[in-house]
Amino acid sequence: MTSEPGADPATGTPLSVRGVSRRFGSVQALANVDFTLEAGEIHALVGENGAGKSTLAKIVAGSIRSDSGSMSLFGQPYRPTSRREGAAAGVAHVRQQLSLVRGLTVAQNLQLGRPGAPAIFNAASARAEVERWSDEFSLSVPAETLVDDMPLAVRQQAEILIAVAWGARLLILDEPSSALGPLETKALIALCHRLRSEGTPILYISHRLPELAELADRLTVLRAGRVVVEGADVRAADLREVATLMIGDVSLLEVNRPEIERGTTRLTVTDLSVSSTQEIGCHGLNFEVAGGEILGVVGIAGNGQDSLAKALTGQAKLASGHVVVDGEDISGSARQAIAAGVAHLHEDRSTGLAAAFTVADNATARHVRSGRFTRFGVRLADKIARHAGELVERFQVRPPDPAARASSLSGGNQQKLMAARELEKNPTVLVAHGPTKGLDPEAAKAMRDRCFAAAQAGGAVVVISADLDEVSDLAHRVVVLYRGRVTDAFPIEDMTSERLGAAMAGLTETMEAASG
Amino acid sequence: MADTSIGGDVGDASPEPLEDEGRRLTTSLSTSCLAVLMAIVLGGLIMLMSGENPLTAYTAMVDGAFGSEFALGETLSRAAPLAIVGYGTAVALRAGLITIGAQGQVVAGAIGALVTAQLFESGPSAVAIPAAALGGALFGMAWVLIPALLRAHFNVNEILSTLLFTEFAALLIEYLLNNPLKPPTAITPQSDPYPDNGILGLIIDGTRFHAGVFVAVAIGLLFVWWVRSDRGFSYDLYGENPSLAQSLGISGNRVIINSLLISGATAGLVGWIQAAGLLQRVYVQIASDIGFFGLVVAFLGGATPGGVLVAALLFGALQSGGLAMQSSEGIPASLSDIIQALLLLGFSIRYAPQIIRLTRGVMANFTLIGKRRK
Repeated sequence: MTSEPGADPATGTPLSVRGVSRRFGSVQALANVDFTLEAGEIHALVGENGAGKSTLAKIVAGSIRSDSGSMSLFGQPYRPTSRREGAAAGVAHVRQQLSLVRGLTVAQNLQLGRPGAPAIFNAASARAEVERWSDEFSLSVPAETLVDDMPLAVRQQAEILIAVAWGARLLILDEPSSALGPLETKALIALCHRLRSEGTPILYISHRLPELAELADRLTVLRAGRVVVEGADVRAADLREVATLMIGDVSLLEVNRPEIERGTTRLTVTDLSVSSTQEIGCHGLNFEVAGGEILGVVGIAGNGQDSLAKALTGQAKLASGHVVVDGEDISGSARQAIAAGVAHLHEDRSTGLAAAFTVADNATARHVRSGRFTRFGVRLADKIARHAGELVERFQVRPPDPAARASSLSGGNQQKLMAARELEKNPTVLVAHGPTKGLDPEAAKAMRDRCFAAAQAGGAVVVISADLDEVSDLAHRVVVLYRGRVTDAFPIEDMTSERLGAAMAGLTETMEAASG
Repeated sequence: MADTSIGGDVGDASPEPLEDEGRRLTTSLSTSCLAVLMAIVLGGLIMLMSGENPLTAYTAMVDGAFGSEFALGETLSRAAPLAIVGYGTAVALRAGLITIGAQGQVVAGAIGALVTAQLFESGPSAVAIPAAALGGALFGMAWVLIPALLRAHFNVNEILSTLLFTEFAALLIEYLLNNPLKPPTAITPQSDPYPDNGILGLIIDGTRFHAGVFVAVAIGLLFVWWVRSDRGFSYDLYGENPSLAQSLGISGNRVIINSLLISGATAGLVGWIQAAGLLQRVYVQIASDIGFFGLVVAFLGGATPGGVLVAALLFGALQSGGLAMQSSEGIPASLSDIIQALLLLGFSIRYAPQIIRLTRGVMANFTLIGKRRK
């Protein structure tokens, strides 16, 4: 897109939001929000999950409309009715879930849907353009690699690059660092600073405070849909105080690690290899987890975590090795894993729940084909609803309505519902994949407590996560995954960000060299 | 930027309902009703444009579908095979599989039933009839076995493979009825008359209300049981979220193969009913369009027992009513075809997002090929 003649980007405040409100059903997602993005600044919008950050971003980008209030863009009244309109006005929204077409190259993505792109795709010029922009920002975004084959951090850079190439005058980055390791986050910050110096203001959405001090100029805090701090200077702000403002009740953030007695080994993984067409797989993993112990598996997303989670829960065919729970080999059989008492909190709630099914069906799904709650093979709806009602009560799912659809619950309650299904009985092994990812503080605390409770009841707990805070809150011991191999392992007391960063980036010498 | 994702951000805990990526093919019936209404209204407009009075036409249609014992028998005899195919297709649909091969499986079932019946030609009816039914069902299953195995083990899209097998069936029956199965005296391609001891009798004389209707009722009751059963639930769960189902110990391959075999068996039974009940001989056109309309019935009925029944009756009524309308009022029966087509159109709009997603799945196969070529 070329900038229209007459509309000088230098005039007028880049973005001014006045009195914007938006309601979803019974929830007031945004209430009378005022917000200003000044020229040449990186403005951090912080708040807990569910505070309304993403809603505000979507309103600014045009994907959803506000119920009331007004906006102006570079001094002009701005009322986008679609994301396309927002993009045409120069607003680029890079979301947590990137929107590049994965089966195409970066160059193809650059031209796809681009306003004013020629009808015939010119591979050479698109390629040259990607390379030019990539050089300009000192990136190494390959023009002709399929998006699918690129690491997440590079995909994200490609998406930002395309936004800029399309002529974005204002960039919204929604939780861009949530899946990045320390080194990649550093590179992202450098890119943001570069964009700022080129004159593109950035609205940077995050709920991680520490990185903001280095990154942003000003910050605005949202809590429960309301602005509690508007445009404070980041350098002058006390991040502790900001955290308090974000959350309201800081006690929810405190992690009280209980004393847990260490038992005997319950989970033994030997020479575990999984080959996967979708991700990197894992290669030659060896570790043991004792009852009462919480092992953290960290690594940048996409380094074999999914394969490992599937292997530990019997869902993946193993290329080699064994997964043994209490002396029983459960390798490659989800049925055996369940019978052995292995519980699995899926990373993604959309794959870990049957969204269109009721709360009752979800809560009791672990009993499917067990013969419980059936007569002559027919499911007894009353019994199922009653049992689900008890589970939902115990795990504090709100609303506690067994007949509600799982998709109607909030993210935190969906996670609790998944926990209700998996942790009905004390597990022998709990595989918790990003158990607090994307949750509000109350739900996150509830999930941490579930993990602790599973360990206290004698279970071996494996927490797989890309979120270092989550791991340091929970784990007793850490192993680092890089390209499907363990690059480092240490007790939590020895964890430093340097050591972790090096291991996550594969700079540590591989400890367990693959034999095969 | 091209926004290719369907809904909101999953990782985001905002109070918006989660994106309904997993919304079943079978959610609400209200939109199906809307499609029916739209078809009736648009159909009426088309009649007006062609100079017919829609009221007269619709009255004649309703009368021709339900107005007499004969009409009712005609409607039910047309609805029964649609319902049976619909129930079988619905089992697969609920498991997330789109089989469009019922047409070929009906043909295979008819051949299977005929061949089996000929084997038992001299036996008592009590043996010959169930044997032919079993033969039909087994041939129907055989006709979907390869697509089922390909889907389970190599993730070959079942839409493509079942459609291909429908073509095979069409060619096969053409060959059989021109060569080995053709009686020496016959001029047109057809089989010998269906053995007498295997004929499904008419229930009410002077109508075409035949015993196949009871088969439809029985299959309907089995489907009701299936939907409420634990096994059926596990198949539904797989259809809604395959990776979750597998994590709960449900074997995806088994779900895929079994549900496709069930759909094949029901279509095969329809082939048997067509051969043994209605036509009493096997023709090239033995399946008419039952396989395809059965699929529509399954979709339109939301893959639920009541929905499929209503949809089958609706299409049965449209078909018998359309013919009656032509003979009583001289209004071309093709107007009834138009209404059926409008229904199809309405249903494809209702399922547009799912259809787009499926097409994307099909296209992914081609992309893979493209990738390799590179």
